[in-house]
Amino acid sequence: MKISRRTLGLSATALSLPSLVQAQPATIKLGFTAALTGPFNEFGEGINRGAQIAVEECNKAGGINGRMVALAEVLDDQLVPDRAVQNLRRILDNREIVGLMCPSGSGPTLAIADMIQADGRPIINPQAQTPTIVYPNGLDKPPRPNLFSISISNTVESEKLAAALSQYSRVGIVHESTGYGVTGAELVRQELVKRQPGLRVTVESYNQRAQDMTAQLVRVQRANAEAMLVIGLGADFAVIRRNMSRLNMNLALFGAAGAVTMPYIEGAGDLVAGTRAVNHAAFGRRPMHGAAAKFVDLYRAKFGTDRWYGQDAANPLISLAATVGSGYDCINLLIDAIRRAGSTNAAEIVQALDQTRDFEGATIQKISFTPQNHVALKLEDLGTYEMLKRGDRVVLELRD
Amino acid sequence: MMDDFFFSLLLAGISVGAVYALIALGLNLTFWTTKTMNFGQGSLMMLCAMLTVFLSSQGLAMALAVFGSLLVVAAFGIFIERWTVRPALQASGGSMGWVVSTLGFGIFLQGVAAKYFGSQAVAFPDVVFTAQDFVTVFGQYVSLQYLVVLAVAVALILALELFVRKTVWGQAVHAVSLDPELALVQGIPVRRLVLGSFMLSSALAGVAGVLIAQIGGTVDPAFGFDLVLLGFVAAVLGGMGSSMGALAGGLLVGIISKLVGGYVSTAAEHGIAFALLMLALALRPQGLFGKAEVSKA
Repeated sequence: MKISRRTLGLSATALSLPSLVQAQPATIKLGFTAALTGPFNEFGEGINRGAQIAVEECNKAGGINGRMVALAEVLDDQLVPDRAVQNLRRILDNREIVGLMCPSGSGPTLAIADMIQADGRPIINPQAQTPTIVYPNGLDKPPRPNLFSISISNTVESEKLAAALSQYSRVGIVHESTGYGVTGAELVRQELVKRQPGLRVTVESYNQRAQDMTAQLVRVQRANAEAMLVIGLGADFAVIRRNMSRLNMNLALFGAAGAVTMPYIEGAGDLVAGTRAVNHAAFGRRPMHGAAAKFVDLYRAKFGTDRWYGQDAANPLISLAATVGSGYDCINLLIDAIRRAGSTNAAEIVQALDQTRDFEGATIQKISFTPQNHVALKLEDLGTYEMLKRGDRVVLELRD
Repeated sequence: MMDDFFFSLLLAGISVGAVYALIALGLNLTFWTTKTMNFGQGSLMMLCAMLTVFLSSQGLAMALAVFGSLLVVAAFGIFIERWTVRPALQASGGSMGWVVSTLGFGIFLQGVAAKYFGSQAVAFPDVVFTAQDFVTVFGQYVSLQYLVVLAVAVALILALELFVRKTVWGQAVHAVSLDPELALVQGIPVRRLVLGSFMLSSALAGVAGVLIAQIGGTVDPAFGFDLVLLGFVAAVLGGMGSSMGALAGGLLVGIISKLVGGYVSTAAEHGIAFALLMLALALRPQGLFGKAEVSKA
């Protein structure tokens, strides 16, 4: 067959056109997989809502250098790691996606971490707490180059929890048997022992969704614990609190950030009073800093005083920061980096993220990254709250 | 005086074991009449608890909310028999399709519940007592919620045992369980008995759902699925088809799990308990109260 030079030229032009179009699509596309449905959708649907608010806000202000932003791939994994992997494969196959957000939860995020690192596109972690997500080779080794985190890291949270628990000489830790629970419990235990070498710590685990925790609790009781920390999610924390009441256990009760959510408040009812918990300090401070107040207003305007926000319009639930606000901050960080990079090239966005300095987030007042540090949360970004009953409402008051 | 530690574990084991026993009894009921079991029982537990939450949130008195929910799940029993079990049994070659279809129906119910009630855990109201209500027995602190679970489960199991042993309908159920074709020839309304067994089995699942939901305090669409496995183990351990076996099997599974969790390790709570149960079944394959089957050529 004879192919003329002209035919070759035309073919080359035709072949290169789609790639040119692909290289500069009109819309800047972002994507993520999260638990949009299923028993843990308070987290996945939460970050989805935060992401939607961030995108709408950006587009209303004219987009990124005139280009609109879209959440082009939002898939549901129900917090199942296998499904998160399948979803991420589909998202990464879409070459128009230029930035991503990690799934909710450590299990799915750990499952996709190697895949996204190999791909190289920038991704920000809103909720998963396990430190190995960012630092797979140890905290003293470099982070994954393209994975950044604004979540409440287990390492920082354990420091804050240990500070609150170190006034006791015997402590019980009851944790869920997931990566989040196991790592969190071990870090708190290490931190407690470091602060107070003679401290006695009893550690017990449970499977998510267990309906009775008597065995775990009586073991803590037998160890004469003066305080108990629960590292798990809200519905399980409610089971534990009710179980404590049935066993007449009256010790100081602490919860990790994931535990003091709406399912805990609803499930344990009046029993939540007195529970102390570590969570983002930003939503407990009055007045809130600018970005937090703006996000809260945007959320209320779009979704109202719903299950994530709580019924009190003036005082949103503290958990709104971790469940929704973190999704909002992740997308805003990506938008900011793309804007500063002036490009949708993965390496350039990652470089811009590495240069993020004092970005004002809703959940963390000043977010900074460096090539060596990809975790934004610092000890001062967390607060210790106490749950109080005011009439028929539960409020969290910032204590420290 | 009894050791507090042991007593707390024993009481919790008896309480959760009573729920396993109720589930086992529900499985037994349909086993009597059709030699099948409804593996979607867990979703019926969830549905009954979810409906109770919904009806009580609409201002219905708690007793009425529970009763209404039980009626609904009992009606589902008719549907399950007609559309998931009967077609499989009518298939030639002794189809085991009912295992898949009852399980599939349970998963379908989960999806429906997630669609209409949401997929997050919702608070389950206190039915009779709260988690703070207790009595002291020989100086021991005993939760009234646990006692209610035990009392309801034992009362239902004893009532059913009396029904089967002392009433004409009970004898008819017994006849159907032995030889349904002969029972039909003798004029026993086999079809009605089969439907009744599925309705009662579903209602028992509903009762178990309400009882366990008030212990945990929350219910979500996936609620109940794991419990059916433990109920099935209780039924097999006690001896398939035996009411007293269901009670004994349920209590044993519950107590062993809690004692292992308390004295050995909470991580091994179910692992070691199940290993012991396997050993028990190896020594007595027909279960504690089951009778070895004799086949005549």
